[in-house]
Amino acid sequence: MKAKLSRFWKDLTPGRALIAVLFVWFIMTCIIVPIVHLLGTIFLADGSFSLEPIHKLMKSKKAMNSLRNSFILGPTLSLSVGIVGIFLVLVTEYFDIKGANILRLGYMTTLLYGGIILVSGYKFIYGSNGFLTNALIRIFPSFNRNWFQGYWAVLFVMTFSCTSNHMIFLRNAMRAVDFQTVEAARNMGANQWTILRRVVLPVLLPSLFAVTILTFITGLSAMSAPLLVGGTQFQTINPMIKTFADSTNSKDLAALLSLVLGMATMVLLYIMTQIEKRGHYMSVSKVKTRIVKQKINNPVVNVIVHILAYVLFAIYVVPVVLIVLFSFTSSKNIATRTLDFGSLSLDNYRYLLSASSNYRPFIVSIVYSVLAAVLISVIIVAACRIIQKRKDTLVAGVLNYSLMIPWLLPTTLVALALMLLYNQHHWYMFNRVLTGTMIIMLIGYVVIKLPFSLRMTKAAFFSLDNALEDASRNLGAKGWYTFRRVVFPAILPTVMAVAALNINSLLGDYDMSAFLYHPINPTLGVKVRSLTEDLTNANSTALTFVYAVLMMIISGIVLFLVYGRGSQDNTQSK
Amino acid sequence: MIRLEDIEVTFGDFTALHDINVHVKEGQFYTFLGPSGCGKTTTLRTITGFNTPSKGRVYVKGEDITDYPVEKRNIGMVFQNYALFPTMNVYENIAFGMRVQKVNKAELDERVRTMAKKVELNDTQLMRKVAELSGGQQQRVAIARALVTNPSIICLDEPLSNLDAKLRVQLRNELKEMQHNFGITTVYVTHDQEEALTLSDRIAVFNNGRIEQIGTPDEIYSHSATEFVCNFIGDINKLRPQLIHEVNRQSNIKVDPDKANYIRLEQLHVNYKRDGDAVSIPARIVSREYYGLYIKYTIEALGQTLKAIEKNDGAAYFPEGTDVNLSFNPAAVMSY
Repeated sequence: MKAKLSRFWKDLTPGRALIAVLFVWFIMTCIIVPIVHLLGTIFLADGSFSLEPIHKLMKSKKAMNSLRNSFILGPTLSLSVGIVGIFLVLVTEYFDIKGANILRLGYMTTLLYGGIILVSGYKFIYGSNGFLTNALIRIFPSFNRNWFQGYWAVLFVMTFSCTSNHMIFLRNAMRAVDFQTVEAARNMGANQWTILRRVVLPVLLPSLFAVTILTFITGLSAMSAPLLVGGTQFQTINPMIKTFADSTNSKDLAALLSLVLGMATMVLLYIMTQIEKRGHYMSVSKVKTRIVKQKINNPVVNVIVHILAYVLFAIYVVPVVLIVLFSFTSSKNIATRTLDFGSLSLDNYRYLLSASSNYRPFIVSIVYSVLAAVLISVIIVAACRIIQKRKDTLVAGVLNYSLMIPWLLPTTLVALALMLLYNQHHWYMFNRVLTGTMIIMLIGYVVIKLPFSLRMTKAAFFSLDNALEDASRNLGAKGWYTFRRVVFPAILPTVMAVAALNINSLLGDYDMSAFLYHPINPTLGVKVRSLTEDLTNANSTALTFVYAVLMMIISGIVLFLVYGRGSQDNTQSK
Repeated sequence: MIRLEDIEVTFGDFTALHDINVHVKEGQFYTFLGPSGCGKTTTLRTITGFNTPSKGRVYVKGEDITDYPVEKRNIGMVFQNYALFPTMNVYENIAFGMRVQKVNKAELDERVRTMAKKVELNDTQLMRKVAELSGGQQQRVAIARALVTNPSIICLDEPLSNLDAKLRVQLRNELKEMQHNFGITTVYVTHDQEEALTLSDRIAVFNNGRIEQIGTPDEIYSHSATEFVCNFIGDINKLRPQLIHEVNRQSNIKVDPDKANYIRLEQLHVNYKRDGDAVSIPARIVSREYYGLYIKYTIEALGQTLKAIEKNDGAAYFPEGTDVNLSFNPAAVMSY
């Protein structure tokens, strides 16, 4: 113990001490203290412990409804997304379906746009004055214009927007299936259905459980879909938190609801980690063979599967196509939801550039996303280096778990916790009130993206061959030189990829910015939300479409750079 | 040149090295040989400074370097997987150590190119990414990188273990030639006895964190000091007491039947006439394996199965079931 302490003091240079102080300050002021303060807001409102907010919550019909709705949406969404997701993976990766490559591209459009922009796109088609609704009314005049509202509308929109995880993780798991196991089953007389049920799907099961739980959490934390298409009857926890947080007397209710959401998330993530611990099935074949697509033997089933695959393709692709097309049409066309290919122009894009209020939110979001991504990269690289160098020590453990805390917390809880804490000045934040300033949302963005960034970057650090550092030291280089010249260049591709993915997901954020945005500088998500409140205004809709198209282009480029060029493996392993 | 005195290395409660004493002379090719986990790499890493001994001292040219950090030791090292920096090209990899030493640009360039020539890397290869090189070229880059800073010693940690058999033999020869040309003191770690025997001036055989024997390749092979060394190096026959009694009956050279007695395969001769101190035992060929250069026989003699190899000169080619005489000199028996 004495030797350890003496080594600790020997290792503690001024630079290391400064980094330690900065980490402690950041973790305490941006993660721990806001959450503790949030708990205090709920249970210690008058300086003494009270369960009054719980009684207040239980008496609030709106709040209880939102809770009930969220707990209906969570499991049903898991089920619907599971069914659709598995179907998508099977038709693109396992069964021999004509045009599978085109279908795959269509199903992956949800990777290009999401959140509030995607929901507004669906609303444009299916909403009360939507493209499809108008078409249906022309055929059936008595058709209910407000048909696309409430639970089913939310479930529909979210089902098709939440299959992204399936298209990434489940697809990878499917590709890992060893085709020789399929051939072995066939050799033993198994039919197609038995092979799928007994050989293929069990291999996918661990990934399937994980994505199902992630979908459950997404359902519980739903914000944009209930807000835009839930109507008055189907509001879930997150929109309700926003409503209570905006009211002066119900902030404790907002905090309590966010706590309930946080606890539910923790339970679900605990289940997920338990499933992850069971591990994945590994192929034991000496020479693994790639899966060969299976032709569906039964002709009737084959036709039905083809039809379903293309119907789903239409559901995925039509909103994207219409958003792109309508972004080039005139206000009149948008207002009447009619397409006139002769009048396509760049007027809406010019409109975007015509007023700063139009293009400013886009720039604000880009600046926020880039700044947050850079800050996250710096924090995470430093943290990972400490964790790597001090592996199996208390310092590494505390740092690792502290930065993973936000993983357990819904975005709204983090936002609310920061908002409620920093609407007063505190010495540890240099006596500055942050709520309502530009900086608080940057902190929020950084905090919510820490866990994802840490997991990805840490994996890159630990996959690095230790011999590289040994070689550098052997050639005379000291720690900082080795890090700068050897370690950092090797992990740079991962750091860049993580930063790009963070920028991509923060660009269209609404959940965090709804609470923390600066009134003079609203983000893209906030702007789109305000525009969708008035979809009858053709200019507003046109602007939403232009934003959506630009977002898709940016996301497309980011995804291509990160995934499209193949993974770069810079670590040498033999 | 290098002296390890009473080295002990511990990892937590586990003692990886016990009382290691080694003396490597200048210009020698010195090999640490042993099975996985025996402590040979730990000893090497103690010389280079990656491991700190809990007991004992490390001396280089008489200077105690035990407490010197890795970067101050000036000992070149070639790693098992070469540890070439993947983000740098060949040139930058070789130049790395000199950049750390802040060698001026012109000198650095000259030394990189001279060293590259010595290890047979051309200008085009210098500008290549390390991942684009073959295993043999990567090994040459690793050696060039280790030698370009003019270290007094070079340590090689199983540098041939990742290569296929043919390339291993080819590079083994190149390595020996390079060591001879550079004249640098070399410490080499391997688990491959053939590599150790063909390359080394001296070999230290490790087992369970201790040195079992230090000697020349011939001493290690023909006069193995311990039963472990005898078993670890080359193929061997263990002789049963019944056979030893027959040996003692025929020969003046007595072998203790209560000890563990071994004889190497090439010391057994099939159908040779008894000569001098040699003993001759009636035997029968059980099976034979044809290797081209030689033939390996499985023979039954006095109820014991033995193996023997004979040079394939066309004469000694006995079919299975042939009754033969098995002769050997009892002086070749190693007893423990």
